[in-house]
Amino acid sequence: MKWPSLGAILSVAYKEFLHIYRDRRVLILLLILPPLFTIIFGHAFEANEMTSVPALLVNRDNTPRTQRFIDIVSKNKTFQWRKQPPEIADESDLLKHHVWAALVIPNGWSDTLTNGDPHPVILYLDGSDTNTATQLQGSVQQSLADFQLKERDALVESLPEEVLELGKKLPVQIRKQFVSLMTAWSAEGKILYNPKERFIDYVVPGILGLILQLLTVTLMACTIAREREAGTLYQLMVTSLQRGEIVIGKVLPYLAVSICLIVVVSLVALLHFHVRFYQPPALALICLLFLLCSLGLGLLISAFSRTQTQAIQFSVFFLLPVFVLSGAFAPLEQLPKAIRYISEIFPLTHFCRAFRLVNMYHAGVSFYLVDLGVLLAGALITFLGAAFLLKRIEE
Amino acid sequence: MWAGHRNKVSKMNEPVIVLNQLSKSFGDVHAVQNLSLTIEPSTIFGFLGANGAGKTTTIRMLCGLTHPTGGSATVAGADVWKDRHLVRTKFGYVAQRFSLYPDLTVEENLRFFGGACRVPAAELEKRISRLLRVTDLKSKRNAAAGSLSGGMRQLLALGCALVHDPPLLFLDEPTSGLDPVHRQQMWNLLYDLSNQGKTIFVTTHYMDEAERCTEVGFLEAGRLLAKASPRALKASFRARLLELDIEPIMPALVRLRNLPEVLGVSLRSGGLRIYAAEPEKLLASWRAQWPFPDLNLAGERWVEPDMEDVFTAYSQGYDAVLKRSTS
Repeated sequence: MKWPSLGAILSVAYKEFLHIYRDRRVLILLLILPPLFTIIFGHAFEANEMTSVPALLVNRDNTPRTQRFIDIVSKNKTFQWRKQPPEIADESDLLKHHVWAALVIPNGWSDTLTNGDPHPVILYLDGSDTNTATQLQGSVQQSLADFQLKERDALVESLPEEVLELGKKLPVQIRKQFVSLMTAWSAEGKILYNPKERFIDYVVPGILGLILQLLTVTLMACTIAREREAGTLYQLMVTSLQRGEIVIGKVLPYLAVSICLIVVVSLVALLHFHVRFYQPPALALICLLFLLCSLGLGLLISAFSRTQTQAIQFSVFFLLPVFVLSGAFAPLEQLPKAIRYISEIFPLTHFCRAFRLVNMYHAGVSFYLVDLGVLLAGALITFLGAAFLLKRIEE
Repeated sequence: MWAGHRNKVSKMNEPVIVLNQLSKSFGDVHAVQNLSLTIEPSTIFGFLGANGAGKTTTIRMLCGLTHPTGGSATVAGADVWKDRHLVRTKFGYVAQRFSLYPDLTVEENLRFFGGACRVPAAELEKRISRLLRVTDLKSKRNAAAGSLSGGMRQLLALGCALVHDPPLLFLDEPTSGLDPVHRQQMWNLLYDLSNQGKTIFVTTHYMDEAERCTEVGFLEAGRLLAKASPRALKASFRARLLELDIEPIMPALVRLRNLPEVLGVSLRSGGLRIYAAEPEKLLASWRAQWPFPDLNLAGERWVEPDMEDVFTAYSQGYDAVLKRSTS
């Protein structure tokens, strides 16, 4: 086996570049989609707090105290309340009312609070989206807590002198404990790694990785399949080109295009979303390994498929689980443990993890060495696999 | 034009291509069976056979694109499978299907294949302009290959196969689907190349093209039936060939074909050619009594067999009319 010749590789690379350049549709796709996706995705995941959620408010307990609660809950920005008369019977039909929640204050609620037997208010929630229900309930709970605190303060204010005198006779230690118990205890959050809690900073590697994976895998997957479909692969094989030269030559232009994409997406993130990039050389290395892995995957699919249609189908089958399971847009920890093992197979998982470790945690290389190793191994396996499959085609 | 090449091939008198019991089976299908033949340098070897006879499989084995399941073959002394990387520098290959890059221009296609075959850059420029001239594609050099007509595509494919100046050319049905003008142009180019000392191995199913070859092999169902020069092949047609003019012609063809003494009948330029072991006897009996009163026998003559007659006799197994010296 001779060493690959640079001239032969460049011949293949130039030819492959011409294919990309001549295919105007793909070229436009490559130029317009990545920045567009970045802007759309970036804004899509920007606001993760819900506001002005449409909700019903039914008050069946017309008392001053209930009115005070309604004043407080009305200021809650999570909801856009629509008040309904107390006679309404179908308040739980959220779909019909086009709301996500319905808060019902039952008749005599205020009295139960006075009588030492507090009844709950009723909250109907749309549970179809599992995240929103808990968030909305938490928000109502918060308003209720605010209300409770105000009511308590009012009660303390209006206590008769005798009670206060009586209280002063209690031992100081007990009184202090009592005061402490009467105030709400809190946890002071000191947010690290992403102090401004900007979701965009978290999601940038997800967007970048997703765009790269989508374009590189599908485009690369078509390259060898196209030559097979057109019959040019045999023409290539009767030249003195070696398999390695064909593979490297085919990857080079796509590698160059992908690097341009990384620069474009990073610029959009930097200029439009003001995302800061920490340790660019480390990030570049992570990107490069991820790219090689993706290109190798595309190449593997390409060597595997007989036609371009097949290549696209295989790519979609591979990319679908990646989108859901790779942790590009949500933490992997949300997934069950068994599923997380599957996630570890995908290069995007390791790319996102390593990228976040550098860019958000400012972590040292020892923290993401494993991820780099996995990406490198992935690149090697896919390239060798593709070369092996090519040899099979040849025979 | 390729004058320098004569010196490169030192062993001029040794066969360029040697097939020894070459076979290829796809499961139970025996595409090529025990094919043995040798081809001398500067030959234009025409490989003649029906579709599915095994021509393309043979050529693909010789190009090292598919491995033989039996026997062996050498090109310029190197084994076509084990040394295929070496063999590939020795030949150019024009596939049956158009297999150049349609989105690349004529010149870019030539340049790519030149680079892929490691032609030095300075040499490549000279060769590209020379090939553009001989293939008459100079005015189309910047046109996308996909926009060319069928004839021009084939000429370009030939140009790409010649870009590394190989001593041997494999052409798989290079003229199928071409108009007569481009077919003539293609063959003129092949004559030039042969004249320059290149060996040409061409498959075809056109009989008139077989006439243009210096040597012809008949392939039928994966077996070589005969291999000789066109003249020798015609000479191997032992029986005399009777041509009859009969009115009306179509019922005559059908009825003559069904006679036990007649092996076969073929229609040529309004006459019916009779393949029979003893045509003289047959004619004598017909002169005595014509068996078909409703058909009018208007004329009769003896003719020279052409390539189609010979091929028909071989491929249909009319052994009685043939001298089986070769095969």
